[in-house]
Order: sequence, then structure tokens, then C-alpha cells
Amino acid sequence: MSVAPASPRITRPAVVKAVVALAVIAFAFALPYVVSEYYVGVATLVLVSAILAASINLLAGDGGLVSLGHAGISMAAGYGIAWSVKEELPFGVQLLVSLGVTLVVSAVFGLATMRMRGVFYLMITVALGMICWGIAQKWSVVTGGDNGLSRNWPPEAIRPYWTYYFVVLAIFLLATLALWVISRSPFGLVLRGIRDSESRMRSLGYRIASYKFAAMMLSGLFAGLAGVLMVWRTGFINPKSGDFIASALPLIMVVLGGLGTALGPLVGAVIVVLISQVLSSYVDRWQTVLGLLFIASVILAPRGLVGGVRSLAARVGGRIGGRRPPAPETPATTE
Amino acid sequence: MEALSVIQQALNGLTFGAQLFLVASGFTLIFGLMRISNLAHGGFYVVGAYVGMVTVGATHNFWLALVAGALAAAGVGVVVELGLLRRVRNKEMPEVLVTVGVLFVITDLIVAIFGGDGKTLNPATGGAPSGALVIGDFRYPAYGIFVIGVTVVIGVVLFLLQRYSRVGAIVRAGVDDREMAAAMGIDIDKVFTGVFALGALLAGVAGVIGAGRQSLTPYAGTEILLYGLVVVIIGGLGSIGGAAVGAVLLGLIDAFAKQYIPELSYFTIFAPMVLVLIVRPQGLFGRVSVA
Repeated sequence: MSVAPASPRITRPAVVKAVVALAVIAFAFALPYVVSEYYVGVATLVLVSAILAASINLLAGDGGLVSLGHAGISMAAGYGIAWSVKEELPFGVQLLVSLGVTLVVSAVFGLATMRMRGVFYLMITVALGMICWGIAQKWSVVTGGDNGLSRNWPPEAIRPYWTYYFVVLAIFLLATLALWVISRSPFGLVLRGIRDSESRMRSLGYRIASYKFAAMMLSGLFAGLAGVLMVWRTGFINPKSGDFIASALPLIMVVLGGLGTALGPLVGAVIVVLISQVLSSYVDRWQTVLGLLFIASVILAPRGLVGGVRSLAARVGGRIGGRRPPAPETPATTE
Repeated sequence: MEALSVIQQALNGLTFGAQLFLVASGFTLIFGLMRISNLAHGGFYVVGAYVGMVTVGATHNFWLALVAGALAAAGVGVVVELGLLRRVRNKEMPEVLVTVGVLFVITDLIVAIFGGDGKTLNPATGGAPSGALVIGDFRYPAYGIFVIGVTVVIGVVLFLLQRYSRVGAIVRAGVDDREMAAAMGIDIDKVFTGVFALGALLAGVAGVIGAGRQSLTPYAGTEILLYGLVVVIIGGLGSIGGAAVGAVLLGLIDAFAKQYIPELSYFTIFAPMVLVLIVRPQGLFGRVSVA
């Protein structure tokens, strides 16, 4: 016989969550002291990918707006840096150029999609993403064409691999916090309202299109951030960083990890990066493995790993706790 | 001479437009009935293309290759529909995501079997029209004319089938009201599988024909699918007529842009799409409401 939690405020799931989060953060900070340079590089890639995935999670999880073209935005931000480096602009200007490019491309994405939803939204983002990729390939005066642009390093101070890892880790934590705040803000609430019933939100007087546009701009900023960090990691960028696969991978991460959960993008990024970077050195066909895993996850575990674990925990907790009512599956939505 | 070059570019545009129509029509057919945005369509395209290439290599018969490629793509389509999509029926997002997964697997398996580098399918070795059409000073590859011809025939057949045949009536009934059609005793599951197979078949045909014009890589399908998507977004999702207009429009724009402003060739397909989206979000001939 177990006893129900004494304090109604500190619930067991909250404690579990806090412990898990702290353990993950502690592990992340300890990592460079434990593993080799190669794996620190992999971990950096995980974190950068997770930021890009989280930017999609903001749109898809809260707003129900699934973007399959986000690599187009992050690549544009990366080219902003790379082009500035090529033109030998000072560091501050490099950042401004990248920010400007990110805002312009996000605004185009936002304007083209703000009246769309569902598969239409998804298809238009696919087309936009692939147009970004095509422009990167053809506009070689600016982008260097297929050869890309190299030697785009961050400032000397954060260039060593382990310093860079800590910088990315700090930015990842801040970005996750920011997204968590956004998701719980009135703005995030409106987005969830739009996801659940657009017509209701419209009749309540919300300007749906403006909210969708704003959500894309916000999401684009995080995608751009990921794009800059991606370029600095290897110093190199080419059109491949914005092709269809590059856009599909972060979405796969979000869905594998668990759509709309704070931890989902990170969990998904760990799985996908492990498959694409580590498993790929043993198995040539990592994309097949990933594709099959993804299909299986969509069909069998539609709420992703984090969602699955959460409902499992709720079920187990309910059985052990006995008197505790099982956690509600999903909030009931009525049309 | 200037006029001849314009005609030449126009024909290039029409030929590419014809290829785009073959890709877009299958995509839009599937979307029109099933509301599935089938991103695996690019995968069906490369399946058809590679099977066609192997068949031409083995039999030196282009026509056989066309049939084999089309059937192979249709076969893969049926497997995907029955094995996977049926399990997530009517769930908009999972359906799309499954097709993304399928595209990943198909592309990767093609790389595994054939390698990632460019291949060519030479239609001339298989008895397809080759050489050049010569009228005075004017020369144009006969294969291009052949592509346009085949596409027009397929387009007309599709139109007649949809408009006048019993199968077409059933499909149109399904598009208009799926539940009502099912209530009338139509086995909508069978219709879905059939339409999905037909869409995949068209992708396979597009693949074989396309492989005769452009270098073939495992990613060729994904690339042409971009154009196909823009075509259906401009033309209106689910509309075969819209796909035809959009394909010709985009083919011509692309050909002239490549000739006169090659650096900006991707801006030029992007501009009409955004313009249409702002002025008429459902596309030129779209009936479905998008929001």
C-alpha cells in the first residue's frame, strides 16, 4: 500500500521531471570530460539539431502547423554567415547579415503559409524549402554553388571543440527555456487554440493569419540560430544543408521524440544523430533503418517516445499508486 | 535566328511541362481522392526510372521498359497503400509522415542497388524516337516531341476516363463525398487502392520518360517532385486540368528563365507560386478550401 503524495503542489510527475532534467543537464556538462573529441562533436551536432527540431516543435506541437521546409531557413541563416565571411565583414556585421537573411526568408515562409493549415501548410513549406535549396545551388556568385563556402569559423575564443560544445549547450538550454516560456505564454495558448479549432478562435476574434505569421517568424529565428551554429561547427556550408532530407530529419526527430513535448526534440535528435553518425559507420543503409523506424513510430507510437513513456509511466504509476487516478491521456477535444 | 531560338525554348518548355504533367497528375489524382499529400511520389518516379533503365539494358526495348517501369512503380504503390497507408487512414498528418518514411527507404535502397552517381537511359537503343526533327534551319530532338505526344495522349485518356467512364464516375463520387459514396455500396477501400496504384503508375511512366532526357540519380524523383508540387499548388490540388495548365506554365517559365536569366532560375518558379498563393490560395483551378 502506498500513500498518496502529502503535498498537493509537488506532484510525483513534477519531481520525476525535475530529476530527469537535472540528470540530463549534469550529464551534458560532464560529457567533454568523459568522452573523446569525436563524440563531443556528435553531441554538439545533437544539440544543434535539437534546436532546429525544437523550432519545428513550436509550430507543429503548439500550432499544429507542420513545416517540412525548415532547413531552408536554417541554411539561409548559415549562408548569411558564410557570405559575410567571404566578403570579409566584421563579426558583428556577420551576425546582422545572418539575422537579416533569416528574417526575410522566415517572412516569405510566413506570408506564403499564414492562410494555410494541415497538409497544405506542409506542402507549401516543402516547396519553399526546396526552392531555397535550388537557389543555393544556382546562385553560385553568392553561395559558391555545389562546392559551397568553407572556412566559416566562429570567433577564436569559442573555436576549440570543447569550448564550442559548452557554448552550444548553453544556447540550447536558453533556447529550450525560451521555447518553454513561449509555449506557456498567452501566445502559445492561442496557438494551441488555433490547432484545436481554428473556427472557434476566429469567432472569438483572434486574427488567425497574424498569429500563424508570428509563429513562423519566431520559429524561423530559432531555425536561423541552429543554422548559424551548424555552420560554425564544421566551418562549411553547401546546398545539401537545405535539401529535402535536411528538412525531413528535424521533423523526424520531433515526431520520433514526441510532438509538442519539451524534451521530444532532444530525444529525437539523440536517436537520429546516433543513427546517422554512429550507426552509419557500421551499417551503410542507415537511411533505410531510420525510414523504417520512422514509419513504425508513426503507425505504432503516434505520440513519440516521450509521449509513449509518459503514458506508460502514468499507467504504471496508476497501478502502483492504486488510489491515484490515471493521468488523462489527452485533453478531450470536441469540435 | 532569334525567332528559331524562341521556338526552340518554347518546345523545351513544353517538353519539360509534359514531364511535369506526368508527375503532377498522379500526385494530384491521389490527393484529389484520398487527401494524401504523397511525398513518396518522387520515390515511385525513381523506381519506374531505374526499372526502365535495367529493362532497356537487358532487352533493348524501350516500350517494354516503359511498361515494366510503370508496373513496378504501381506495384510498389499498392504495397505502400495496403501495407502502410491503410493503417493510418483518415489521419492527415500520419499519412504524410508515412510517405516521407517510404521516400527515405526507397531512395536509400536505390542508392544501395545502383549507387548514387548519375546514370543514363538511352531511349534510342530501345527503339524510341531518336535523332532530330529537321524543318529547314530548325532542328529539335525527336524524343522531345515524342514526350509531348505521349503526355497529350495520357492526359486525354485520363480526362475521358474521369469524365465518361463508370470508374471515373465512382472516383468523382469519392472525391465529392467519400462517406456518401461508401453508403451507396461503393467499396471505397478498393477505389483508394486503385487510384493510388494509378497515381504511382503515372509516376513510373514519368520516371522512364524522364530518364531518357535527364541524367538519372536516386534523388531525381525528389527534385522533380518539387516542380510537381509547385505545379499542383499553382494549378489547384486535386485538379487534373489545373495540373496541365500549371505544368505548361511552369515548363515554359523554366525554359526561358534558364536561357535568359540562368542564375535566377529558381526565383522564377518561386514567384508565380507565391503570387498564386496570395491572390488565390486554393490554386487556379482548385475547388478544395485550404483553410
